[in-house]
Amino acid sequence: MRVPGLRSFRSFRGQLVVVFVGLFAVILATSFLVVAAAVRASARHEINEELRLAGTLFVRQLDARSQQLLAATRLLSGDFALKTAAATADQATTLSVLENHRQRIEADVLLLLTPEGSIAADTRDPGRLGASFPLPRLLEDAEQAGEVSRIAPMDGGLYRLAVVPLLAPVPIAWLVAGFAIDDRTATDLRRVTGLHVSFFRRQEPGFVVQASTLDGADREELQRGLPQIRREGVIELAGQPHVIRVERISDDVVVVLERPLAEALAASKSLFRTLFAVGGAGLILALVGAIVVARRMSRPVLALVGAAQHVAAGNFEATVSVQRRDELGELGSTFNTMLAGLRDRERVRAELERAERLKRFFSPQLAELLSAGDESVLASHRREITVLFCDLRGFTSFAEKADPEDVMRLLRDYHATVGALISRHEGTLERFTGDGLMVFFNDPVPCPDPAARAVQMAIAMRDAVQGLLDEWRRRGYALGFGTGIDMGYATVGRIGFEGRFDYAAIGTVTNLSARLCQEASDGQILVSQRVFAEVEHLVEATALGTLSLRGFARPLLAYSVIRLRPAPPETTRSSSQDRQLAKDEPR
Amino acid sequence: MSRRLAIAALVALTALFAERAGVRAQARSGPIDATVADDKGKPIEDAVVSLTSLGAAAPAPPPASAIMDQHDREFVPYVLPVYVGTRVNFPNRDNIRHHVYSFSFPKKFELPLYIGTPAAPVVFDKPGVVALGCNIHDWMLAYIYVLTTPHFAKTAADGKVRLDWVAPGPYEARVWHPRLRGDTEKTGKPLTLAAGEPSSVSFVISLKTEWRIPRRTIDPYKDR
Repeated sequence: MRVPGLRSFRSFRGQLVVVFVGLFAVILATSFLVVAAAVRASARHEINEELRLAGTLFVRQLDARSQQLLAATRLLSGDFALKTAAATADQATTLSVLENHRQRIEADVLLLLTPEGSIAADTRDPGRLGASFPLPRLLEDAEQAGEVSRIAPMDGGLYRLAVVPLLAPVPIAWLVAGFAIDDRTATDLRRVTGLHVSFFRRQEPGFVVQASTLDGADREELQRGLPQIRREGVIELAGQPHVIRVERISDDVVVVLERPLAEALAASKSLFRTLFAVGGAGLILALVGAIVVARRMSRPVLALVGAAQHVAAGNFEATVSVQRRDELGELGSTFNTMLAGLRDRERVRAELERAERLKRFFSPQLAELLSAGDESVLASHRREITVLFCDLRGFTSFAEKADPEDVMRLLRDYHATVGALISRHEGTLERFTGDGLMVFFNDPVPCPDPAARAVQMAIAMRDAVQGLLDEWRRRGYALGFGTGIDMGYATVGRIGFEGRFDYAAIGTVTNLSARLCQEASDGQILVSQRVFAEVEHLVEATALGTLSLRGFARPLLAYSVIRLRPAPPETTRSSSQDRQLAKDEPR
Repeated sequence: MSRRLAIAALVALTALFAERAGVRAQARSGPIDATVADDKGKPIEDAVVSLTSLGAAAPAPPPASAIMDQHDREFVPYVLPVYVGTRVNFPNRDNIRHHVYSFSFPKKFELPLYIGTPAAPVVFDKPGVVALGCNIHDWMLAYIYVLTTPHFAKTAADGKVRLDWVAPGPYEARVWHPRLRGDTEKTGKPLTLAAGEPSSVSFVISLKTEWRIPRRTIDPYKDR
C-alpha cells in the first residue's frame, strides 16, 4: 500500500524540503538550546544581581527610615516643654509629657534615660524606673556619634530605635524612640522592594523570625534553611525554589529578602515564548522557502523525468526546455542531445525495419527506395507495366489427394524457388494465391525493359520449377507449371484498409496475363501480342494464333515462348503466323 | 574687648575699694601668671583659673554685676566666671527675641522671649556651673561659672591669664573649663603667694567633646 505522504517524502522535492527544513530545524534547535542556556544563566545572574541591588536599596531604605526617625526624634527632643519637664518636673509629669510626645510621632515606645543610662521614664512600663537601659552599646554609640538609629532586639521584640540627647543645651537626658518591627513593617517594605521581607533576630543558637511577609509555614522553613545561607542562595519554600539574600543589619538582626525563582524567571519565560514564536515562524518560512526552492530545483528534474518516461514509452520526440545555466540546465541540454542521438538511431532502425518489411513485397531496390521515405510511389497512379501470372497445373487435385504436409512442403519449395527469382529480376510481387502468384515490372521502380525481364524471369522460373516438379511427378502427382505475360497500362498503388494494405495493379493487363496463365499448359509461357513484340528479338517463340479467352469479347493473339535466344536476337516467327497475328490483333 | 576692660576696671575698683577699706596694711602679691594647655601643649582658651585661699577666707567683695550679651544669636562671652551672688544682666542686642533658660542646678531660670535688657538681672547665688541655652536657637550655648572665691580669671586664646591683687598666703589654684574631663576639684594645685613676688601656675587638662548643636541653618538676618 502506498501512502501518498510517504511517497511525497520519497520524492526529490520532498527530500529537498525535508533536508532544508530539517537543517533549519537543527540549527534552530541548537541556537535555541544555546540561547536557553545563556538566558537561564543570565536570568540567574540577573536575579542575584537584582537581589543584590534590592538588598542595597533595602538597606538604604532602612537607613533613610532611620534618618527620618532620627529627625523626628530630634525634633521631639527639641521641645522645650519636654526639656523643662525632664529637667525640673516630677516623674509623673515627665511620663505624661513623654506619652504625649510618643503619640505625636506615633512611636510604639518612648523612653527617657539619664545621661548615665538608667531608665528615667518608659511609656510602656511606667513603673520601670532606675533600671539600666538594656542596650548599653546603643548608648555608647549614641554618645560617640551624638545620636544613633538602629534596628535592635529589645524586650523580646524587634525595634527600630532612635537615640538622641536631650540638650538643654547640654545633655540632660537621652530620648529613645522605638518603633516595633512587625509584619506590617515587612509588608510596607515589600511594597517598596517587591520582595518578600523577613526580619530575624538573634536568639541563641541562631536566629528567629520576628516579622515577615511570608506565611507561617514558609517562615519556619526559611528559619530552618537560614543557617545554610551565607549571603545568597536558594531555599525551598512550599516545594518551590526561592532565591534569597541575607542582609546583616547588625550583629543581632538580619533581614532576608526573598523571591520565588519562578517569578524571577517569568521574564525569561516570556523571552522563551517569543523565541518559540519566532522559531516557529522561521520554520514555517523555511518550509515555504524550501518548497519554493525545491519546486524550482525539481521542476527541471521532473521535466527530465517526464521526458525520460516519454522516451521509455518510445516517444523520442520529447525534449526538455533548457532555461537554467546551472548543472541542471547542462543536464537538460545533454539529455536533449542524447535524445537527438536516440532519435537518429531510432529513425535508422525504423528505416531498416521498414526496408525489411518492404522487401517482402518489393525488390530490395524498391524496398530501399521506400524505406528512404519516398512513399509517393505508393500513391495511386497509372503506368504501363508488364504483368506475369504463374501457377501450378493440377495443384487442386494434388492438394486434395496429397497429405497436407506434402502440400505445404511443395508450396514451400515452390515459393522459395520462384521467390528468389523474383528478387533477382527485381520484380514486384503483387500477391500469392496458393499455387499462383502475380509479379509485375516497371513499377514502382521503372525499368528500361520490363517485358524482357518478365520473359527472362518466366523462362528461369519454368526451368527451376520443372526441376522441382520432376520429383513430384515421379511420385505420381501430375503437376505442371504455366505462365502468362501481358503488358499495358494499369492503375497501380496502395489498396486496402488501415492495418492491411497491399500494393496492387488494377487493369485489363492483369486480367489478360491471368487468362493467358490459365491457358498455358505445363511448361508453357504464353505472352500477349504486345509482349511478344517487345521480346521477339530475345526469345524463340511459337505463335499460337488467336485465343478466345473468358472475360474478353474478342479473341487475342498469343505466343508461346520457348527459350531465350543464345545468339544476338533474330525473329523466329513465320510470316504466316505474323500475318495471322496481325489480323487477329484488334486492340 | 570693652567688656574685658569693664571687668578689669571692676576688679580694679573692687581691689581699690578693699584696700581703702582697711586691707591697705596688707601687702599684695606680685602678678600670678597661669597657663592652661592640653597634654599636647595646645593652649586652652576660656579656662577659668581660680585661687581659693587655704588660710583666712578672703573678705567677700561687695555685690557685683555682670553681663551676658546676646549678639548675632550667640551668647557673649562663651564663659562668664562670676563671684557667687553676682547679678547678671542678659541684654539682647539682636533685633529678634531670645528665650534664655537654664536647667542647671545652681540656677534654674527662664527669660521667655524678650527684646532689650530684662528689667531684673538674674542673681547667681549658688556656686557651680550654669549652662545657658536659648529655646529658639538651639546652638546658642554659654556657661556662667559661679565661684566662691573672688580670685579668678579666664584664659585668653593663648591659654594664659594673669591674676593680680591677691593677698599673700597659701592658696589652691584650680582650673575649670566647660569641657573639662573630670572634676575641677581634682585640678587643685597648692600655691603660696608672697608679697610682691610674682608666681606662676600651669595646668595640663584634657577636654571632652562638646555636646553642642552646630549652627548650620542659613541665617535670614545675617546681612541686615
